[in-house]
Amino acid sequence: MKIPYNEDLRPDTGLYNAKLGIWLFLASEVMLFGALFSAYIMLRTSDPYWFDIKPKLDIPLATLNTVFLITSSVTMVMSWVSLKLKDLSKFKIYLGLTLLCSFGFLVIKYFEYSAKFAHGYFPAFSTSFACYFTITGLHVLHVIGGIVVFLYLIGPGIKMWDSEPERFTNRIEVAGLYWHFVDLVWIFLFPALYLL
Amino acid sequence: MSDDIKHHIVTYRNVFIALLFLTGITVGASYIEFSSLTLGLFVGLLIASIKGFLVAANFMHLNNEKSFIYGTLIVTIVFFFVLLTIPLSWDINGHDVKTERNNPFDEYKVVKEKSHDYHDHHEDSH
Repeated sequence: MKIPYNEDLRPDTGLYNAKLGIWLFLASEVMLFGALFSAYIMLRTSDPYWFDIKPKLDIPLATLNTVFLITSSVTMVMSWVSLKLKDLSKFKIYLGLTLLCSFGFLVIKYFEYSAKFAHGYFPAFSTSFACYFTITGLHVLHVIGGIVVFLYLIGPGIKMWDSEPERFTNRIEVAGLYWHFVDLVWIFLFPALYLL
Repeated sequence: MSDDIKHHIVTYRNVFIALLFLTGITVGASYIEFSSLTLGLFVGLLIASIKGFLVAANFMHLNNEKSFIYGTLIVTIVFFFVLLTIPLSWDINGHDVKTERNNPFDEYKVVKEKSHDYHDHHEDSH
């Protein structure tokens, strides 16, 4: 039996189901990161013995990571545009670039974390490092989640393009919405954790 | 449809350039010595909000979306600000406005100060 509203728009919401689903999921994600973010700001502004981690963090590397994520957001939206223009080869190039940027983000994060651990800066070192590792760690898990989805969509999942191109395009749009949210979270984390 | 998509491509490129520019501004702002931490946080988060708006409006297509999604997001934003405000109104900068209760960290401060007094006294006696 065919699942309804994979491609057609539901008359009541005006959306296909996956799009409504991803937006409800992103709403729950806003609350998840929001809780951690508000806890961080409260601790940051009220602790008179806050251990300042800013000098211990590598700002050029984090800036490069920001550039990676912003670039990956653009390539992700371009991969969706390519499918809209029925250009599968360009889609593969853009999604491949998105994957490359997301792997680049992970590699830089690995070097950042390694440098912290080498100096003995673990989450238990201070409240500030506990906040840093919890929030950035959760964000890294989201990046890994995105990579798994992209690998599926560029690998075995691409077969759907031959049978249901419209549904596959919708899948890319939904995956893109998730990825832009991951980028959005980093846009707020970058100044809050690294720069201020 | 095709022309519409091509118009989108130009927008995406412009947004990309704007995001890179604002990232540079954010890094630049980190070198400014702000008079208070709150002001620094405000400036940093203001620039981040502009960047966030650009991503949400253009890449996530919120500038042209169905009303059902706007409704969902409005509820989310309201609850997000409730979530953000609860701990901040409870305790900010060491003073609780409602109950005049002191910062919980003060207890630690007192213990630490006592410890300093003890050490100072101890050193004097030698």
